[in-house]
Amino acid sequence: MKKLLISAAILAGTAFGLSGQANAACGDFQMSDMNWPSATLMANVDKIILEEGYGCNIELIPGATTATFATMNEKGQPHVAAELWTNAVSVELEKAMAEGRLHSAIRGPITELGEGWWVTPGTLSRNPEFKTVMDVLERPDLFPDKEDPSKGAFIGCPAGWGCQLANQSLFRAFEMEKKGWVLVDPGSQAGLDASMAKAAQRDENWIGYYWAPTAPVGKYEMKLMDFGVPFAGAENWDSCIALGPEKCGNPKPSAWTESVVQTVVTSEIKAMPDVMEYFGKRIYPGPVMNGMLVYMEDNQATGPDAALEFLEKHQDIWTKWVSADVAAKVKKSL
Amino acid sequence: MGVKMLDFFGDFPDMSRRDLRDFKLAIDGAFRDFSRTNGEAIEAFFDPLLWFLIKLEKLLLAMPWPVILVIVAGLCFLGSRSWKLSIGAVLSFMLIGYFGMWEDTMSTIALISVATLLCVAIGMPLGIWMAKSDRVQSIITPVLDVMQTIPIFVYLLPVLMLLGIGKVPGLIAVCVYAMPPMVRLTNLGIRLVDKDVLEAANAFGADSKQKLFGVQIPLALPNIFAGINQTIMMALAMVVIASMIGVRGLGIPVLQAIQNQYLALGLMNGLAIVGLAIIFDRVSQRYGKRLQQHRGGHDHD
Repeated sequence: MKKLLISAAILAGTAFGLSGQANAACGDFQMSDMNWPSATLMANVDKIILEEGYGCNIELIPGATTATFATMNEKGQPHVAAELWTNAVSVELEKAMAEGRLHSAIRGPITELGEGWWVTPGTLSRNPEFKTVMDVLERPDLFPDKEDPSKGAFIGCPAGWGCQLANQSLFRAFEMEKKGWVLVDPGSQAGLDASMAKAAQRDENWIGYYWAPTAPVGKYEMKLMDFGVPFAGAENWDSCIALGPEKCGNPKPSAWTESVVQTVVTSEIKAMPDVMEYFGKRIYPGPVMNGMLVYMEDNQATGPDAALEFLEKHQDIWTKWVSADVAAKVKKSL
Repeated sequence: MGVKMLDFFGDFPDMSRRDLRDFKLAIDGAFRDFSRTNGEAIEAFFDPLLWFLIKLEKLLLAMPWPVILVIVAGLCFLGSRSWKLSIGAVLSFMLIGYFGMWEDTMSTIALISVATLLCVAIGMPLGIWMAKSDRVQSIITPVLDVMQTIPIFVYLLPVLMLLGIGKVPGLIAVCVYAMPPMVRLTNLGIRLVDKDVLEAANAFGADSKQKLFGVQIPLALPNIFAGINQTIMMALAMVVIASMIGVRGLGIPVLQAIQNQYLALGLMNGLAIVGLAIIFDRVSQRYGKRLQQHRGGHDHD
């Protein structure tokens, strides 16, 4: 009993201490409001929580990945990029981190994100023995291709996209042709989306390439398949699989390369321990994020609208990111 | 009061956002239910067409290339009676093959020929019907306007939801866009037939069928062939769009080229499409002209 009291006292003390510190330490700063739905949602949620709960004053700066990263790297502004897909800027980012200009506040602020091979939920419920992609590949007969029903259809990446080459390489690495599959080129994102949507709406089997967090994945509750083989190294991926079958004849079977997403901050933010602690805990479960994207699409909701919706509907999630005191302040402001 | 009036005139009195959302969700939901209940039946309805397209493509791909060249030369000569044109066509096909575009070209030819046949088979009777009745014309004309101007993916989305990606939706996309000139020009051609000629036919006691096939259609041929010509051209212009919904052919490399700024790849495949268009166009035009040789005065070299 005594122990409990003490720990409660310590907890309360830290909470007060933190919030007091927060008000003192948190000043004005800029956050990047990236031009895709999940990033703008995250930026607006951060803005509300940090302003109401920590007394910061935040300005949102619109921008895309490369431009935002470039100005962060050169000028130190905006101070925070909530959802930075760092594969695209990995070399410069590593340099900036080594020099202590930029810092990662959290790696993977959204779970289950990235590219991979997805199936419709019905595919799994009808075939509970499908644990990995490898299991699915044994059953092309369950995914008949419209133009040649004796083959299984694997829906790849639209013509000309970078992922088209990677999918072609994996198609070869897994010897899918021999197993009775054809690689269908959906031609465009509209084609890919429609192919997936049709299968999901009719509850048909479907396997193909997609990525998350995205509204279609949330809307149709698509399931990301584990590849059943490990990632066979960056060497195999970068200098073989990503180049496509023309430049690389002998790809090794591999899981999809990990898409690294980080919340990147400048040194100014790094000096605010409670803000850093918040970013460090702020992890959105993938399905929740996809669900929010569906909400945004259905209601044509802007970032601020969606942030309010998230803070109201998903209190069980975000209240765990902050102290009880901060949570109460944010709730009061809603 | 005055402020309220200003508010009223300042913003258009639109549907509330909630109602608008519910309205859109209701339409989407209704379509989803329709697709769930009827989708398979509609797919089955188009299966013969798909079967024909696949067979034609497989046939073209399976045939040895010299045979194809002979057929191309033969068809060109039969159509145009011009050695120059036939040799030109064979040369273009050889170039296409030499630059590694043979298979894509065969797929495209399969799609375009079926699309053109379909457009003529549906478009010509429609045009004739329109020419016979002003009421039909006043109904079909706005439909044709919609077909030619509506952004393609607006109607393709529901088609894709019903039929999935692939050849049949590709064919539908091509035909929706390429058929209107066929209908319009058939209608125009028949309406332009001289009244005096028709009176003469009447005087000889021709019934309406005899008038149509013996007088009106032959005299409308220049316009009808202009229609076929336009249909072919527009069908070829749609090859890239068809590839955006998963149709194999010359459109796929063009898409790849556009996405990655591959100048040469885009140019080569684009020019292959142009080459096909010119061959189809010249042969059909010459054939049309030969059919009207009785009119005299036209060149037929």
